[in-house]
Amino acid sequence: MSRKRLRNLGWDAIGILVLIVMVFPVYWMVTTAFKPGQKILSYTPQWFPTHPVLSNFRDAIHQQFFWDAVKNSLIVTSVVVVLSVVLAFLAALALAKFSFYGRKPFIVVILGVQMVPLAALIIPLYITMARLGEVDKLSGVIIMYLTFALPFAVWTLRGFLLGVPKELEESAMVDGATRFGAFVRILLPLLGPGLVATSLFAFILAWNEFIIAYVFLHTPEKQTLMVWLASFTTLRGTDWGPLMAGATLCALPVIVFFLLVQRRIAFGLTAGAVKG
Amino acid sequence: MAEIEFLHVGKVYGGDTLAVSDLNLKIGEGEFVVLVGPSGCGKTTALRMVAGLEEVTEGEVRIGDQIVNDLAPRDRDIAMVFQNYALYPHKTVYENLAFGLRMRKVPKEEQRRRVEEIAQKLGLSDMLRRRPGQLSGGQRQRVAMGRAIVREPKAFLMDEPLSNLDAKLRVQMRAEISRIQKTLHVTTLYVTHDQVEAMTMGDRVAVMRDGVLQQVDTPQKLYDSPANLFVASFVGSPPMNLFEATVEQGGTQLAFGETRLDLGFRSLPDYAGRRVIVGIRPEEVREASGWDGARVRGRVLLVEALGAEQIVHIQIAATPLERADLVDAAAQPPGPSLGVEDLERSVTLLGRFDRHLLLTPGEAVEVAIDPRLLHFFDLETGIALPTAAVPAVAGVAG
Repeated sequence: MSRKRLRNLGWDAIGILVLIVMVFPVYWMVTTAFKPGQKILSYTPQWFPTHPVLSNFRDAIHQQFFWDAVKNSLIVTSVVVVLSVVLAFLAALALAKFSFYGRKPFIVVILGVQMVPLAALIIPLYITMARLGEVDKLSGVIIMYLTFALPFAVWTLRGFLLGVPKELEESAMVDGATRFGAFVRILLPLLGPGLVATSLFAFILAWNEFIIAYVFLHTPEKQTLMVWLASFTTLRGTDWGPLMAGATLCALPVIVFFLLVQRRIAFGLTAGAVKG
Repeated sequence: MAEIEFLHVGKVYGGDTLAVSDLNLKIGEGEFVVLVGPSGCGKTTALRMVAGLEEVTEGEVRIGDQIVNDLAPRDRDIAMVFQNYALYPHKTVYENLAFGLRMRKVPKEEQRRRVEEIAQKLGLSDMLRRRPGQLSGGQRQRVAMGRAIVREPKAFLMDEPLSNLDAKLRVQMRAEISRIQKTLHVTTLYVTHDQVEAMTMGDRVAVMRDGVLQQVDTPQKLYDSPANLFVASFVGSPPMNLFEATVEQGGTQLAFGETRLDLGFRSLPDYAGRRVIVGIRPEEVREASGWDGARVRGRVLLVEALGAEQIVHIQIAATPLERADLVDAAAQPPGPSLGVEDLERSVTLLGRFDRHLLLTPGEAVEVAIDPRLLHFFDLETGIALPTAAVPAVAGVAG
């Protein structure tokens, strides 16, 4: 065997190992959700549920506050997705297409704030939000999520906007469109992939977020799904079956959303606009 | 259709970068004017000011009898073809062509009729459903042209529309654009850095340099009597031969190297005893046999065969231009530093000869220069010098 093949084999092995490490927890979550209670905690692990049951899902759905949590999560996520995409588009437009005083520092700040760890922000943010009376309210959590989603979204969209040649808008303007018309008719359709990527990011962030929701939302009726999941862990122990079933259910929307939009994250849409 | 006029137009970027300065130019109704110059000379900026894509810092831009300085691009009723075509990639060819009509709320039926008519004219009928990404460079170029024509605007603005095409297609499209412009008779301002394009397409050509208009005239006039060194060196290919010489004999004789050239009917009395810049076009450097006038001796350095003719590089004794800043640097042939001892200072004279003349590098040659065809320029300013008027003599190649 040549050295090159040997080396490739090594890389392949590492790749498979990483894949297993990544996929196994998900696999274990899903299979556990289908196992009956006594099989979950048996000392000999059951790798595949031979007699799958749905009782865990039934328990999870009938757990207190499940539908409240679903509703809350949907509200928070959809508002965050819509607001972050709209605001980020306008902000990115300003940053990419107009020159104004302080543009460069602003861009640097956007990049900078993304480097601050979440844990360092929780306490100051909690104090700020408490003063504003936004603790234990969905609106407070939405504002918090936006502060994290927006910098990334603005940065990403700005990149996409810079990739669209300015002659396209200029041509539209000479052809009779207003500046805003050129944005809407020419730029917006070309930004499709960027908008999808941004909304996907915002969706995942808002849907999966736990720490902020856990810290800010106390009343059970106001909690989001991720916080609700934590309610399976009590002082008396963890109810693994329903927890895993709940976690599986929570993961579904993200997967569905991703499958719906992933084809739209096609690059090269601007091909043919200009020379080349 | 309308006139376009620049009145003392200036453009300053960011407070101190001067792009265009005191531009005065009038493009008549239906006229095809080409703005030409090296990159960064302000020609594109001037065009974009007409389009409304660039603010006018000073002066007035007029379209028709209206001052358009503060008018939005869409209210100027002009059409523009961009260097990179700027086709809308997410729209089909049909939608691209119809976009301007849709923006102007032309009825659907009318849109269809006009788009189909233009597509027919430009040979795009079969690709109306395609997207720009599926077209070749030449087809994209035609769509870009079609998008401008279909609107039936007051004026066309074209910003180097051919520079992304290969050489063959460029020649073809050059003729096509000229033909379209002649048929439609639409006022056209065309920007290019290519002097061949400028000369072949323009009714008049405006040569710009560093934001300053150098000369506006018909291609023939530019060629025959350039206003200054820059225009002389920019127009014509290969460029005009330029070297320094001394005016002697009270302005009637020119001396360079060991050559003494009688100026004949012309004279430069004001420059007697001074140095001037002399220019002669390669096509007017002739073979010496059968010529009893002034001859210049030199040595063949290089022969470039072009098929129908040949460009011969001849080394002659003369003083090369010292003020290279007065000419278009790109067009200036490099002065040889061959260390030839018998020639103190040498200049490469380009000659355009008939293909039948057999010359080999290293060979000594004699070429004839007709003093009536010489151009003279001031050494300091580069401005063309007036001499006694003589009837224009057509240059005969070979």
